[in-house]
Amino acid sequence: MDKAKLKRMTRRTEFYMFLVLILLAVIVQIKSGGRLITFPGIFTRLNTTVLRTMVVDGMFAMCCLVVMISGGFDLSFPAVAALSYSLATTICLNNGWCQTSPLAGLLLAAAIGWVLGMLNGWIIANFKLNTMIVTLGTQTFFTGVSMGLLALKEITSTLPEGMKAFGKAFLLESADPATGIRFTLSAMVIFLVLLCAIVSFILNKTMFGRALYAIGGNEVSAERAGYNVKRTKFLLYSSVGAVAGFIGMIRTCMESQSIPKAMVGREMTIIPAVILGGASIYGGEGTVFGTVVAVAIISLVSNSMLILGIDTYWQQFFNGLVILVGITVSALQARRKH
Amino acid sequence: MLLMTGIDKRFGGVHALDHVNFAVRPGKVMCLAGENGCGKSTLVKIISGVYTRDEGEILFEGQPIHRITPADATRLGIQVIYQDLSIFPNLTVMENLAINSEITANRRIVNRKRWEQTAREALSKIGYEIDLYAKMGDLSVADKQLVAICRALLFNAKLIIMDEPTTALTKKEVDALFKTVRQLRDSGIAIMFISHKMEEIFEISDDVCIMRNGKNVYSGPTSELTKKDFTYYMTGRELVDNYFVPTNISKEPVLKVEHLTWKEKYHDVSFDLRKGEILGITGLLGSGRTELALSLFGLGKVDSGTILMNGKPVKITSPIAAQKLRIGYVPEDRLTEGLCLQQPIADNIMLASLKQLTRTLGTIRHDEVFEKSNEWVKTFSIATDDAHKHASTLSGGNQQKIVLAKWLNNDLDVLILNGPTVGVDIGAKQDIHALVHDLANNGLAVIIISDDLAEVVVNCSRVVVMKDGAIVGEMTGDEITEENILEVIR
Repeated sequence: MDKAKLKRMTRRTEFYMFLVLILLAVIVQIKSGGRLITFPGIFTRLNTTVLRTMVVDGMFAMCCLVVMISGGFDLSFPAVAALSYSLATTICLNNGWCQTSPLAGLLLAAAIGWVLGMLNGWIIANFKLNTMIVTLGTQTFFTGVSMGLLALKEITSTLPEGMKAFGKAFLLESADPATGIRFTLSAMVIFLVLLCAIVSFILNKTMFGRALYAIGGNEVSAERAGYNVKRTKFLLYSSVGAVAGFIGMIRTCMESQSIPKAMVGREMTIIPAVILGGASIYGGEGTVFGTVVAVAIISLVSNSMLILGIDTYWQQFFNGLVILVGITVSALQARRKH
Repeated sequence: MLLMTGIDKRFGGVHALDHVNFAVRPGKVMCLAGENGCGKSTLVKIISGVYTRDEGEILFEGQPIHRITPADATRLGIQVIYQDLSIFPNLTVMENLAINSEITANRRIVNRKRWEQTAREALSKIGYEIDLYAKMGDLSVADKQLVAICRALLFNAKLIIMDEPTTALTKKEVDALFKTVRQLRDSGIAIMFISHKMEEIFEISDDVCIMRNGKNVYSGPTSELTKKDFTYYMTGRELVDNYFVPTNISKEPVLKVEHLTWKEKYHDVSFDLRKGEILGITGLLGSGRTELALSLFGLGKVDSGTILMNGKPVKITSPIAAQKLRIGYVPEDRLTEGLCLQQPIADNIMLASLKQLTRTLGTIRHDEVFEKSNEWVKTFSIATDDAHKHASTLSGGNQQKIVLAKWLNNDLDVLILNGPTVGVDIGAKQDIHALVHDLANNGLAVIIISDDLAEVVVNCSRVVVMKDGAIVGEMTGDEITEENILEVIR
């Protein structure tokens, strides 16, 4: 590797985040007496839990990332997801769908999310409003639709069988040698990997992805360069809505329950994670790798606390710290450039 | 190459362009000159297809053009390099160079190899070399500009329009830019160069078109134009260099600086300043001139040395301390450092003297703020009909007057002006200079920090030249000439 390349790499936030992740992993491995990774089996109860937690957070973080790269903020994705899965599950339940396969539920949730995302996209692209304000408004509006207008109920034990079974699907099963407790590696991890691969491809290899970076870097220039900024933004927010709806349904299957209120405030932990992973609050910066690393750090820490004998109250403390550190670093970097 | 006749454009009641005629010849540099708001930008936007004209004819390479969109303009070979350069600071040089042509070619998938090839081709057009993988935002303004020029050349540009390209450049960078412009001109490309800086226009242009209030008042070869005519056409009035004649210099210095040092920025600086004087501090960028001013206003560090006000040693640790000592400072970048653009003119003027205008509980006497501001608006003839309007509604020169008024509203002994007329057009420049002369002759001690030598020569009764953080020369009276200053600076 030549020097210039190395220098560019060491200047990126995600490089340091990766080092932090490795360091944390080593600490957890030692402190827990080798319960993070075992050899040759690799998977343990702890690391499969970490991966399981990463599925939903990581996928949401991908949605957040693409929006932030374009210089926007989406505060509404948890509300979009919640309304999508609650409504889709209710429809499936009422029609007796999804008894064997969750496909109808997944597609339905994605479709509902897409419609909601289109509303975001239409308002943002057409009226050129601040994305944070718009999505703050739609977030409250969507929650209101779910709770008030449709009066969607919690669905727990009556959840369609197909969804339950799908959520429990696993790639491998094993037992903890020390305690004998069974653990599985959730098959939902595949969706996380797939989404990361797709987002990475879009961001790096398509003109649409480069348009997001260009718009986040300088919207006026992007317009002058010939990008259709309006269409790009509409496409972005509507796709993010569809993906959020899909993720919501994955979550419902994994948790075996559909609770309309479950996602409230989720954006406030996801957005800081994305920022921690190197995305700029001013737009134009951010990578899939950095985001995944940041989500992994948060998941690793919150899941290791019990094992390390740290009171779970510290999780709040840690999350707060992540928000502060992430946003400060991002702001300082941006300031250094100006 | 480009011939425009009788171009007319109205925005509502405003007659932005009044039957403008002009022509650009291939292989020539044509300067479009005029003060702010004269219609230059409107004209450019008509050529580039952003606006449509109401009346008039456009011929490009002999072909009449009726309707034109920005994409058409590109296809015809017209490229505009805007003042902000239209670059993406977060992307690499390679992407910045290639992205426009990729979009124009309607590509969907990114092919790094092709991008790199395009980028290299662009750079080769003017034989410019730079790291393709460097981040655009890390480049200097001059480098960014060259990248923007290379990008424009990719589209087989026949006419390149450069909108105020020299605004953020140092003298050296301007020279480099001009070299490139000449190179392009010699390869047969027509250049339309938009500027309001007289020296540059005379240096680079073959033809010049001067606009005032939406009309073109002169067009023809630059060689047939004298500097005096030029100023007349630009401003509509005869302007003579109004040299400052001090009439009221005090015996004792009001400010005395001895061996002042800020380790990283400047060292061992000593000078004094009397009431009624205008002292110029000049030097190249990085010579320590601005940092010296910051120290005097409590915004910079003082590692050693003393500052004496009226003979008494003082410590200036904050702008508040400086204000208490009756020192005022008008920063270089008035827009970001000196003004709240989205606030009313009146509030801006009174910002530094709110203490005098508050009641016991700290609430502000608004009627008085307005009353006093109106007096300043009158004294300085600030071009507004209502001091309640936002400061952003004013032109650069008038904004600068607000900043001056703000400080003068407090009784000052020393006023430090850093680059007082940067970005201000000739007419307003003269007004500001005359104003400063009056202030000095009424007993104010003024320091002008500037790298505009003409400005220093005209306005200062004494000049201190700085280089690499030290004073390298001092001149008074007739010694102050551009040649003498240049000699010490170099």
